[in-house]
Amino acid sequence: MNRVFLTTTSAIAVAGAALLGTAAQAQDDLTIGLAVANLQADFFNQIKQSVEAAGEEQGIEIITVDAAGDAATQVSQIQDLITREIDALIYIPAGATAAGVPVEAARAAGIPVVAVDRNPPDVPGDTFIATNSVAAAQELGDWVCEQTGGTGRVGVVQGQLGTTPEIDRDTGFRAALDDCPGIEIVAQQASNMWMQDEGFAIAQDMLLRDPEITIFFGRADALALGAAQAVQVANLDHDVLVVGFDGDFAGLEAVRDGVLDATMTQRTQGMGRMALESAIALINGEDVPAEQLQPATLTTSENAAGFLENHP
Amino acid sequence: MVAPSEQDQATGRLTIPSFNWGLGFFGPLVGLVLLCIVFSFTSEYFFTTRNALNILDQVTVLGILAIGMTAVIITGGIDLSVGSVLAFSMMMMGWLSREFGVPLEIAMLCAILTGAACGAVSGLLITVARLPPFIATLAMMTVARGLANILTDGRQIVGYPSWFTSFATVRHFDFLSVTVGVFIVSVILAFIYLRYRPGGRNLYAIGGSPEVARLSGIAVKKVTVGVYAMCGALSGLAGIALAARLNSSQPSAGLTYELDTIAAVVIGGASLAGGVGSIAGTVVGVLIIGVLSNGLNLLAVSPFIQMVVIGCVIALAVTFDTLGRRNR
Repeated sequence: MNRVFLTTTSAIAVAGAALLGTAAQAQDDLTIGLAVANLQADFFNQIKQSVEAAGEEQGIEIITVDAAGDAATQVSQIQDLITREIDALIYIPAGATAAGVPVEAARAAGIPVVAVDRNPPDVPGDTFIATNSVAAAQELGDWVCEQTGGTGRVGVVQGQLGTTPEIDRDTGFRAALDDCPGIEIVAQQASNMWMQDEGFAIAQDMLLRDPEITIFFGRADALALGAAQAVQVANLDHDVLVVGFDGDFAGLEAVRDGVLDATMTQRTQGMGRMALESAIALINGEDVPAEQLQPATLTTSENAAGFLENHP
Repeated sequence: MVAPSEQDQATGRLTIPSFNWGLGFFGPLVGLVLLCIVFSFTSEYFFTTRNALNILDQVTVLGILAIGMTAVIITGGIDLSVGSVLAFSMMMMGWLSREFGVPLEIAMLCAILTGAACGAVSGLLITVARLPPFIATLAMMTVARGLANILTDGRQIVGYPSWFTSFATVRHFDFLSVTVGVFIVSVILAFIYLRYRPGGRNLYAIGGSPEVARLSGIAVKKVTVGVYAMCGALSGLAGIALAARLNSSQPSAGLTYELDTIAAVVIGGASLAGGVGSIAGTVVGVLIIGVLSNGLNLLAVSPFIQMVVIGCVIALAVTFDTLGRRNR
């Protein structure tokens, strides 16, 4: 008896949600699905907001689903989007390496796929939009070399091992250090979630083992912010250069205020708009390049404030 | 660990509080039907054969996990390690076949055995080291997640043979994929075991009162270890199904699945205090979670609102279940 009451209540909740859903439906005839890896990460959330804003301008309905970092959830969600008869899919893969299964499913249904940030190696999307992370990390490494006069001991706070961003940022940064023999990586440790508290703990342990560290590279801004905090707490007798990657809002603010020394700002707003444009072009049967790699911009206290006002 | 039910105290005899299982299973079923009706009227895409098959696909992994969890919860325990054990088992399968050239059929068997071994360790921690199930399986959750990452240093294993991925993708007779079939067969076997076999009835007795069960001659420790081992083996099986669905093994797979699984079992009318629960109820609980997220996706409800709706439904389900129990 009580169960019936429960179910009525949940039915009402669902009906309420349904109304919210249909409110967004009275739009043009194009519907584009946006499958996001994890909306808790500011980087993905910025891309989502950019796609949704651009969609609203052009009267295109954007259906957003969030996998919360779980690849299996994402496969289910994309299955639902396909059932929903979307015209194109913008796919930001969840999980360490991108899964090809959703691309296959969309292709079988004749739906074009724009892969963003990560591209399934076995079944790539019709086009792939991402930052050229290797080149960006190399530029950052060169800047570090220049700033320190070519000497220093680096502690690296890594992201989630095995992910494309982690691998690419490692490759680029090491390539820069190859030309800078005075700088040595003395410690590196992986985080699991790219989170600030992990960065703090990892950097603190590194400083305990080796107080002579003069440079920290956080593979994401949040990790670098944690490392900067650890440096502050440690009361060292020398300066430590702390650099991050991503250029999310917290990171840019920290660079502006001098908490971080530099970061590489990714063009999240631009990538979101470009993803939507590519999706429309693919729907119209136009040719879109297989890869559209975007540069990232070296950001220091000089240009951080501008990016905060108007994110690229 | 578990307080004896009022009936036990009153009569001093071994009782099986859940015997009126039909009643407990009817409530959630009405809820499921109502959900389906609401979605059918609000989304033109919902009430189609294709979408129904999609939902079955989508709940398979959760469903297989929930079968084992039902048995554990009936004995008054909890297993927080199912998601991690799933990841460890699927990594073990990929690692054995990739690194050592073990034939995939045997590697699949090893995945199930890996899960069973993890479960048995949890069971021994509970019965021999006398850890509370929450702590024992919390420890196993962390250890198994670590082991899953250690096997390949955190990298995932991509690219299984096509016959393997076809388990999840090819629908035989336009209807049943192998993984969904395995789920359905597991459900039937578990249903028969829990309802008609003495071994299954013993689980309810242990959940009702471990002490009374022991005095009446049930080998409580042995059965407890067996239940956790079976739950682990089913986690391994779910890991295989997930690997087929994703065409890869990922050490990060199954994160927070233990919570979804527990939610499905409890929505299905099981009591975390033990002694109450049924496979039929659990299947309905699993379907409620599956239909809810599928329907909200089809209605293009924002992901943030979805979280709120799903959370509210879980809270409501358990609230009314506990209120109902008190009145019964």
